[in-house]
Amino acid sequence: MSEVVIETRNLTKRFSRGEQTVTALRDANLEVRRGDFLALMGPSGSGKSTLLHLIAAMDRPTSGEIRVLGQDLARMSDGEIARWRNAHIGFVFQSFNLIPVLTALENVELPLKLTRLSKAKRLEHARRALELVGLADRLRHTPRQLSGGQEQRVAIARAIVTDPDLILADEPTGNLDANSARDALTLLSRLNQEFGKTIVMVTHDPHAARAARYVRYLEKGELLPDGQKPEDW
Amino acid sequence: MFRHFSLIWKSTLRNKRRTALTVLSIALSMSVLGLLMAIFNMFYNEGSSSAQANRLIVRNRVSLANVLPRSYQARIARVPGVKAVAIMQWFGGVYKDSRDTRNFFARFAVDADKVPLIYPEYQMPPDQLKAFVSERTACAVGNKLASRLGFQVGDRVTLVGDIFPVTLELTIRAIYTAERDNENLLFHYDYLNESLEPARRDFVGTFTILMDSPEDAPRIAQAVDAMFRNSPYQTKTETERQFELSFLAFLGNVKAFLGSISAAIMFTILLVSGNTMAMSVRERIREVGILKTLGFTNGKVLAVLMGESLVISLLGGLIGMTLTAMICAGLREAPSLFTDMSRLATPWWLLGACLAVAGCIGLISSLIPAWSAARRPILESLRVTD
Ligand SMILES: Nc1ncnc2c1ncn2[C@@H]1O[C@H](COP(=O)(O)OP(=O)(O)OP(=O)(O)O)[C@@H](O)[C@H]1O
Ligand SMILES: [Mg+2]
Repeated sequence: MSEVVIETRNLTKRFSRGEQTVTALRDANLEVRRGDFLALMGPSGSGKSTLLHLIAAMDRPTSGEIRVLGQDLARMSDGEIARWRNAHIGFVFQSFNLIPVLTALENVELPLKLTRLSKAKRLEHARRALELVGLADRLRHTPRQLSGGQEQRVAIARAIVTDPDLILADEPTGNLDANSARDALTLLSRLNQEFGKTIVMVTHDPHAARAARYVRYLEKGELLPDGQKPEDW
Repeated sequence: MFRHFSLIWKSTLRNKRRTALTVLSIALSMSVLGLLMAIFNMFYNEGSSSAQANRLIVRNRVSLANVLPRSYQARIARVPGVKAVAIMQWFGGVYKDSRDTRNFFARFAVDADKVPLIYPEYQMPPDQLKAFVSERTACAVGNKLASRLGFQVGDRVTLVGDIFPVTLELTIRAIYTAERDNENLLFHYDYLNESLEPARRDFVGTFTILMDSPEDAPRIAQAVDAMFRNSPYQTKTETERQFELSFLAFLGNVKAFLGSISAAIMFTILLVSGNTMAMSVRERIREVGILKTLGFTNGKVLAVLMGESLVISLLGGLIGMTLTAMICAGLREAPSLFTDMSRLATPWWLLGACLAVAGCIGLISSLIPAWSAARRPILESLRVTD
């Protein structure tokens, strides 16, 4: 069996808003191995995004342990985490989140600007990533000049341009029409199968979940045991 | 930092109109600041010329508007170290239509024969000098004044007095060339004196002393002032340079005036730039979240946001300094009104310093909005919808 890249133990996240405390994630125990393609499903508010954000170290847990790619995230400073995320994590949002003033090529180049690569190398990598997502002819377009499906493919290119170990996607097809959604999923499957990327994808869509190798469900902040679905799902 | 320049630059172009307006208002404010600094520099930093260093000015202790008896001239001349003493009497008056500022220039009644000795920097042909000295109604004009008003040797100039109730009919006999103070008209004190009613004769505004050596200045000044300490007309003797500055002080507290205007201008720029940056940052909270997701540290985000403000303020400063240089060049050529502007220089260090001030203001003004945006948690930034 391949190495474990994500490992959580009793991972818990609470949000307190004034008097109220919401437990977004309770005692989650998850293990993801290199080369896996995991889909996280569950009703709205069940804690899917929360779990994904904790894996990406975009937020810190209230309690419990989390190791990603061999790193104990709790022991890392904010600066270390930023550099670590740049090098090892590619994140894909539901709403694309491209920088509107930059072209497709510049958007994809952006994470590489934090590396030591020369400008020529950066552009070469960015171009190759855009070719991979089928947008070699849209390099100079700004997000506004692209369709939603194309924007999401630029976002995927941006997520993979640093050659990360882990791709995290939060409802990547949520804002896309059926065709674009299928393209995006095909792309993610290819990244998993041909390039061996480990992927964790949050989705509402059963079609989308089929692109993944296996599915884990969440319900009311609980990560259900492997193979178990929420009632009335 | 430089590899993020394209991101910074494109961000400043996002809202072109707002950026342009901000740059423009900074440019205008900075051009005024630059002008004030150039004036300040001219008044207080520019060293005195070598000819100036040899001269002292004696005036009434009370103020420039008070006079001294002419008889002092001979007594001052006897002080050791004094080579010569000349009368220098300001004659206000009107030339032609006084509403036209071109017709304004300084007129002095002087000891014509002492001019070449005391003012060696006033160059004129020997024959013109001779004509000027020997004719009672002759006058000499500076080269810049001559070219401004088209004066030629032989032209007649009529001055209608205001402080002195006389009308003087002068003939230009000499045109002198000088680096500065080349917009004056000099004529014979004797002519003025004799035109006055007897009661007003033989009084003088200032005397100019030519010293053997500049080192003697403090001693001679003290000796002269001590000599007249107990007379009804006490004197104040100072170097020509000090005299120029006290003439300015006569107009008001120039230093405090320049300083307070400069402070107001810098504060204005701070507000304008700060307001723009606050707006610009507020619109981009979400982008800050995106950048951080991609691996930008708080520090890098801060640098990108402050870099934008720096670019805007430096751009404004650059345009402003260009304007300053142009305004100063214009003022150097323009007729002198209350003081000689021909030395209004804009050295590189002065423009550079103003530019640095603009940059600092840009950085300071963006510090608070940029810092609060940069340290905001990622998820909070990403939740902001636009
Ligand atoms: N910053 C926050 N402050 C307070 N409560 C929060 C915060 N973020 C999430 N929550 C709460 O935590 C719970 C889980 O939220 P999460 O976003 O993980 O759900 P989700 O499964 O991704 O839902 P969806 O499918 O709608 O995106 C929800 O009840 C939500 O209201
Ligand atoms: Mg969610």
